[in-house]
Amino acid sequence: MDSVLRALAMYLALMVLFKIAGRRSLAELTTFDFVLLMIIGEATQQALLGDDFSLTNAFLVIITLIALDVGFSLLKQRSGWVSRLIDGEPTIIVENGKLLHRRLRHARLVEADIMEAARSSQGIETIEQIKFAIIERNGKISVIPQDSGKG
Amino acid sequence: MKDDTDHPDLRSRQFPVQEDMAYQLKVWRFEHIGWYLLVVCMLLGLLGLFSRGVLSSQDARSADGRVQVEYEMFHRNGSTNPLKLSVHVAPEATVELDIGGELLDGFSIETLQPAPVRMRSSKQGMRLWLQADAQGQATLYLTLRGDGLGLFRSHIRMPGSSDVKLNQFIYP
Repeated sequence: MDSVLRALAMYLALMVLFKIAGRRSLAELTTFDFVLLMIIGEATQQALLGDDFSLTNAFLVIITLIALDVGFSLLKQRSGWVSRLIDGEPTIIVENGKLLHRRLRHARLVEADIMEAARSSQGIETIEQIKFAIIERNGKISVIPQDSGKG
Repeated sequence: MKDDTDHPDLRSRQFPVQEDMAYQLKVWRFEHIGWYLLVVCMLLGLLGLFSRGVLSSQDARSADGRVQVEYEMFHRNGSTNPLKLSVHVAPEATVELDIGGELLDGFSIETLQPAPVRMRSSKQGMRLWLQADAQGQATLYLTLRGDGLGLFRSHIRMPGSSDVKLNQFIYP
């Protein structure tokens, strides 16, 4: 019984924590993010398994986690409200070459983050060349260039 | 945080994606409040609300001060913490102690040092006899591992002295 409860509690706790951390937190893995992710995994593993290293326990935990994951995806499919709650919505942060500063502040982003995404995905050099920059639901910044901006 | 939601930056756009800025602002507010909550949890953790710290370490004494117990009020399931039991009696006397209540339901005793002169079970717990030294001091060190969940009330009793009551909480 406790294996299922452990997995359930850990899944929900991590979900809430990563909601607090925001969608950007682990979207673009820097070296440090990668290390952080491993440490979180290590800390989680102990709590998930407790002192029971049996196959049965491992299976139970994995089954619970996958069942939850599938369950949530089914829920998201049926209800737009749940989908919005769990996945969030895309947000525009650059509109016609202009930064939407208020939004950037809330999203804890700076211009450099946007320009980095613009350079790597579109080869854009200046902010004026961006028509739209959008924080996607997965935290990545997608960039749409101006039609005539590039020559 | 003051937000003029009428600010043009924060109005919902319809193109290229359909936005609901009122909702997005709520999400950001949740992140903001959540961050404060994380910091509060961290501080409480440092203070010992989740075991081992100022809030958790307790020093309980009987009314006459002859029995003293140093213990952790907050435990975590599966982790071990020490409990130190000191008594002050007549020199070289053998003193009888009764550890009762829910202590043995919630904890398993991993170590008990030094070994008591005699030990036996009692109605709800155990009774042990300690040998005091030439100054009349006797000390017993226990290592407790939290096995249960929730609040456990127990007491340590020495004949001729008042009870020392222990309240211990075990986190999951």
